[in-house]
Amino acid sequence: MTIGAPAGAAQFMALSAVLFSLGLYGALSRKNAVMVLMSLELMANAVNLNLVSLTRFVDPAAMTGQFFAVFSMVVSAAEIGLGLALVLAIYRQKKTVELEAMEELKG
Amino acid sequence: MPETVNGIAFFLLAFATIGGAVMMLSTRNVVHAAFWLLETMLATAGLYLLLDAEFLALVQVLVYAGAVSVLVLFTIMLTLRRREDAVRPFEPGWGGMALAALFGGAMLVAISRAQLPAAKLPEAPPTVADFGRVLFTQWAVPFEIASLVLLVALVGAVWWSGGDRR
Amino acid sequence: MGYVALIPLLPALSFAVLAPLPRAWRNWLVPVSVAAVVASLGLSVAAFAATWPGGHEAHAQTAFEAVFAHIGGAELAFRLVVDPVSALMALVVTLVGTAVQVYSVGYMHREERIGWYFAALSLFTAAMLTLVLADNFLQLYMAWEVMGLCSYLLIGFWHQQPGPRAASMKAFLTTRVGDVGFALGLLVMYANVGSFDFAAVLHEHAWQPAAATAVALLLLFGAMGKSAQLPLHVWLPDAMAGPTPASALIHAATMVAAGVYLVGRAMPIFEASGVALTVTLIVGALTALVGGLLAAVQHDVKKVLAYSTISQLGYMFVALGAGGFVAGMYHLVTHAFFKSLLFLGAGVIIHAAHTQDMREMGGLAKHMPVTTAAFGAGALALAGVPPMAGFFSKDEILTVLVHEHQYAALAIALAAAFVTAFYVARLFFRVFTGPPQTEHLKEAHVEMLAPMVVLAAITAVVGFAGPALGEFLGHEIPWPEPGVAALSVGVAAAGLAAGWWVYGRRTVVLNTRPLKERFGVLYTALSLKLYFDLTYDNFVVKPYARLAAWLARFDLGVIDGVVNGAGRLWQALSAAGSWFDTRAVDGAVNGAAAAVVASGERVRAIQVGRVQAYQALMFGAIVLVMLLLVVKGV
Repeated sequence: MTIGAPAGAAQFMALSAVLFSLGLYGALSRKNAVMVLMSLELMANAVNLNLVSLTRFVDPAAMTGQFFAVFSMVVSAAEIGLGLALVLAIYRQKKTVELEAMEELKG
Repeated sequence: MPETVNGIAFFLLAFATIGGAVMMLSTRNVVHAAFWLLETMLATAGLYLLLDAEFLALVQVLVYAGAVSVLVLFTIMLTLRRREDAVRPFEPGWGGMALAALFGGAMLVAISRAQLPAAKLPEAPPTVADFGRVLFTQWAVPFEIASLVLLVALVGAVWWSGGDRR
Repeated sequence: MGYVALIPLLPALSFAVLAPLPRAWRNWLVPVSVAAVVASLGLSVAAFAATWPGGHEAHAQTAFEAVFAHIGGAELAFRLVVDPVSALMALVVTLVGTAVQVYSVGYMHREERIGWYFAALSLFTAAMLTLVLADNFLQLYMAWEVMGLCSYLLIGFWHQQPGPRAASMKAFLTTRVGDVGFALGLLVMYANVGSFDFAAVLHEHAWQPAAATAVALLLLFGAMGKSAQLPLHVWLPDAMAGPTPASALIHAATMVAAGVYLVGRAMPIFEASGVALTVTLIVGALTALVGGLLAAVQHDVKKVLAYSTISQLGYMFVALGAGGFVAGMYHLVTHAFFKSLLFLGAGVIIHAAHTQDMREMGGLAKHMPVTTAAFGAGALALAGVPPMAGFFSKDEILTVLVHEHQYAALAIALAAAFVTAFYVARLFFRVFTGPPQTEHLKEAHVEMLAPMVVLAAITAVVGFAGPALGEFLGHEIPWPEPGVAALSVGVAAAGLAAGWWVYGRRTVVLNTRPLKERFGVLYTALSLKLYFDLTYDNFVVKPYARLAAWLARFDLGVIDGVVNGAGRLWQALSAAGSWFDTRAVDGAVNGAAAAVVASGERVRAIQVGRVQAYQALMFGAIVLVMLLLVVKGV
């Protein structure tokens, strides 16, 4: 792909894949709970981008992907709201937001 | 309505998106990371504009760039006792990096092989008015359910983060 | 034929109206339910009359059709279809249903929950009508399950008492065992044919013997559950814990006959299989005989009738197993009338005598002549005495058996007929003859007597309609052949005479001891169930005790010496064993335990409790799958 050439569905999908992988890396490796939540938002963003671009290039008249993106945004907004509230609640108990401190599920 | 979008605009916005994400992950200051996330979201909104999804671009700016970023910044503020705590050592996380790289690589290979169905392109892109009409007719019930989900999440968030009464 | 849709719809609507209302309103609206079933009866008569002239040559007419689901390419339709068999069945169901509902108005009028009772009866009637008017197996199965529910509700009508509660659960669960077979049969059927429609499954599909056997046996299993055939018959006697009119409708006339109807409908599959027909014949014959024998030793009036129902359903299965579809259906129809008549009569008796134990009854004939006459008509029909309906249909089954050269089944059927006549005589003489009761017993109300008189009249005349009915259903029902008829009447007369000899000759039989002394062999054989314990005691326990006493003497003298010697030897051996145990066995056991602990420690590492570790595992798996897809190129 040359820089500046018109971009189609494949380019958008590649961009979305890279974005998703970056988010995945962040969600897996960061120790700060807030950073993990931000990485999750990055992944959700990549998914939305994929939805919107595919509906634009495959069936633009129906706009189905856009509606899905709207609902996906709703869910991820709810998720980050709840996630951050949880982080705050945990912070009040443990005085830390490090994920390593949260391992009560240890077997 | 063409099969492609302006390459230069796409390149710039893609660069901004990926660059923002990379910077978000590489910076050692959590507050800076939040601002890089904001930059990424704004660039994505630009990509939505490029894709003729004006409404989504607006929502993206309002929800992500506006609400979510502020929420993140507040949380960071509330969970940091000293200014210096915001700066943390860089955590490479090699295992996560390898896994993400494998995932991304596999995705890219798959995309390069994928064959998309032929597009059925209309003369003019659907407008925001069209979008609104369909959203409130065909998708009205899911829309209402989504509102309910948001409401419940809101109540839950207030409950969890609420004062020290428990 | 659009009005046919109303036949099941009216009772269904009456259920829909009654069920959600508060109790007081519901009780007040009972006439709605009765009116609905009477209207259904009228429409059924019309449908029957419309179908009658052409008989079996007329094509089945679709009265109502609605597709309710698409699965793959197949349509699942709700259809009501009128053909001779379904028109006849609808008529029988609505007729008995009307009789029972009218009767129930009198019988149940003191019940607090009478409205709910009528709602359940209406739902049942609607389901049964849907079943008989169905033209595909799926709809039949749905109605079948609704009937199971209604049966459960009505058996457990007095759910405050533990007995009916337990009985309702037993009935529901036992029939469910059969229903599983039915459901599996439907799956196999769909896998083979790709449709549930009668036309496609029964007539257009060329069945392989193996597939036909599988489907037929599974359907038969379902039918055995619903129709209380051996060994799934145990629920029906207990089901008598419900209100008697409900027993008359559900557990005598209609629902239990649904199994017979199912097998009858699926006859082409059974014929393609062959094996399944034989199985049906065997099951039916055994049930007919065992049910009759057990009926002969019951003291509860309703339980006698319940076992009798099991036995008569066995008769129908015998007919079907011998290939006599029309004979089976004919007996189903006549049985529906006379057995519901008997149950309604039993209800009157129980109402008047305040007991179900016939040892405490006797001499009721003087108090309630109408009931006695009606019950007597039903009893004669059950015994197979001409000119009652039961004689003709039973005779038709025997004729089929003779024609098909099933002589073993014929012998069993005749034995069952003898037993039937015997217990009928026992029931009748014990309850109605003898000195009158001291207390004053009243004849039942007119709304209870009228249905009985109507059913008795039908029972008396419907036998003569046999040939016409046979023509209608597409298979000849001849007038009884003299030979077979003589045999059947002879057996019935012998049974009645035996019953009279034992129970009717004496005035009141309150104590069975003299009988046992006089007819020891006969009575012991017939009361096998009751005297099982005695038989065990005489033939197993006492000889065993004698043997044990002898062995004890032998034991003291001879065995003890041997045992003590063996004991010492064993001591030495066990010392050696103990050494081996501590060294080798314990080592192995401890080693295995240690290995488990060690592997557990290793596996535990996965459960670190950190969210990101689980996330990494999950995405690791996803990446593996993706790599696999990419390498294989999808």
